[in-house]
Amino acid sequence: MTYPTAKFLAAVALLGGGLSLVSAALAESPAATAAANVCAGCHGADGNSVATTFPKLAGQQNKYLLRELMDYKSGKRVSEIMAPLVADLSESDLAELAAYYAKQKPAPGVAGASALMKAGKNLYLKGNSKTDVPSCDGCHEENGNGDGKFPRVAGQHVDYVLDQFRLYAAGKRTNGARVMQAVAERMSEQEARAVAEYMASMP
Amino acid sequence: MNMKPTLIAAAISLLAFNAHSAGPEFHHQPHAAGIETYGYTWNSPDQDMNRALAYKASAQRGKSAYKICKGCHKADGSGQASADYPQLAGQHATVIIKEMMDIRAGRRDNPRMYPFAGEWIVSAEEIADIAVYLNHLPVNDSNDKGNGKNLALGKSLYDKDCASCHGGNGEGDARKFYPRVAGQHYEYLLRETHESRDQGRRNANPEMVKVLKSYGDADIEAVSDYMSRLLPAKK
Ligand code: HEC
Ligand code: HEC
Ligand code: HEC
Ligand code: HEC
Repeated sequence: MTYPTAKFLAAVALLGGGLSLVSAALAESPAATAAANVCAGCHGADGNSVATTFPKLAGQQNKYLLRELMDYKSGKRVSEIMAPLVADLSESDLAELAAYYAKQKPAPGVAGASALMKAGKNLYLKGNSKTDVPSCDGCHEENGNGDGKFPRVAGQHVDYVLDQFRLYAAGKRTNGARVMQAVAERMSEQEARAVAEYMASMP
Repeated sequence: MNMKPTLIAAAISLLAFNAHSAGPEFHHQPHAAGIETYGYTWNSPDQDMNRALAYKASAQRGKSAYKICKGCHKADGSGQASADYPQLAGQHATVIIKEMMDIRAGRRDNPRMYPFAGEWIVSAEEIADIAVYLNHLPVNDSNDKGNGKNLALGKSLYDKDCASCHGGNGEGDARKFYPRVAGQHYEYLLRETHESRDQGRRNANPEMVKVLKSYGDADIEAVSDYMSRLLPAKK
């Protein structure tokens, strides 16, 4: 596994990825090297990405991370960005990467537009029975930390989350449990934004 | 892995991707033959159901698996009357298993719940676990009730036509897959009784449907109100 590190890093540097964060301490295994050299440019060295369309991976559920990485590799989860990046990584590399990010400390969430926060919290904890949107706390836990195959949503970037809601609702993210397609389809745009803001604010 | 610069450039230009256009039909509930079909037999043998029934279920595992359902049926299993989410607490495990399998197979229409009930999110074994867990939860008796105006009529209809299966106190019969109706939300009872009479509930019991044929809407309201107020002995 050889990454043309210099070119790649130069490219991602344009994205404003915090390359200075890439610490030598990570270079202990092939996966850690990949994390430092390739993934860090977009997801941050410790998985706390800065750019808001790149998901935060720090503290994410290990089981969930591995499944998503395997699905990018097999094409079940479609992403033209992620697919080539994991194409040549083995399952054990991916397992190491998943374990690495799961262990990182998530940066605390940031409180967003306060006007939507109340509505977002309400949807997260109560759902909307008029449109059969179940509350989110059952599967993602009240604190947003998730559990196993249910991903952590606390502190996640609003832009990334809204992208995912759009993909779910359009039937373009179908690798996981179909539940999220129904959830995304049933939420109004206003609700989607409000709940995304609320999740982003969770510590 | 060989990352070509062009690939990187392409990847980066894709960052501004956009999701649009209607997707395929995901999570569409299938349709299986039900009471509207000639030769329908209620509760005919079903492989998944037998698997769940034979499984050595655990309420403890069920508590954790139930989180998928909580978002609608509530943490205490009391449901939400205003949305026709039935109370599941205290319901017989056999009944919960049968209803789940009927919904999965499309014998009972429930498109609202279907995306959260398929094998992609909950296995037959987990359903068995959830069913025993729910059966052990105490019935919440602040359930939705009717207006209380025709309880005498409700009681006489119930004792004459319904008690033989649903039990004198609405306790149902686990062994025979007869649901417990005591403490269920009035709105839900009303709806299911109507739907059963009018064959909208396609997994209904034909003998019950026969009894309901002579029922007018006022009778259904009275008997539903009565059932919602029944409370069998606490566990
Ligand atoms: C060029 C930027 C970029 C690089 C480099 C990159 N990613 Fe990603 N990553 C993304 C984007 C964009 C997404 C969201 C894609 C989607 O919508 O499915 C994503 C999604 C993910 C997800 C899914 C997260 C979730 O919450 O569902 C994981 C896991 C992941 N990346 C891990 C990695 C790993 C491991 C590497 C290094 C091998 C890596 N990424 C390199 C941009 C990048
Ligand atoms: C029945 C369980 C369940 C419920 C209820 C549920 N989710 Fe999910 N959610 C999942 C699962 C499982 C995934 C994993 C990915 C997949 O299936 O595609 C997920 C994925 C997600 C993701 C993508 C995470 C990522 O990193 O890419 C977001 C965002 C999300 N859910 C938000 C919500 C919100 C907001 C609600 C409530 C309105 C909600 N979910 C309700 C089960 C659930
Ligand atoms: C999106 C909301 C929603 C979710 C999530 C949900 N349900 Fe339901 N459930 C309903 C609705 C609505 C009904 C009744 C609708 C009807 O009969 O038309 C129902 C009915 C039922 C019934 C039939 C009860 C009876 O007395 O006949 C059972 C059993 C049931 N649900 C179990 C579950 C289980 C177990 C889960 C989780 C695996 C679950 N539900 C998740 C909305 C939901
Ligand atoms: C021959 C036995 C029998 C008789 C008599 C009977 N029922 Fe039922 N009832 C059933 C069975 C079996 C079901 C469950 C059907 C299924 O989904 O498999 C049921 C379901 C119901 C339900 C839906 C319960 C739920 O949890 O979804 C209601 C409400 C109901 N019956 C009301 C009545 C009323 C009112 C009467 C009297 C007018 C009556 N039943 C008479 C057997 C009977």
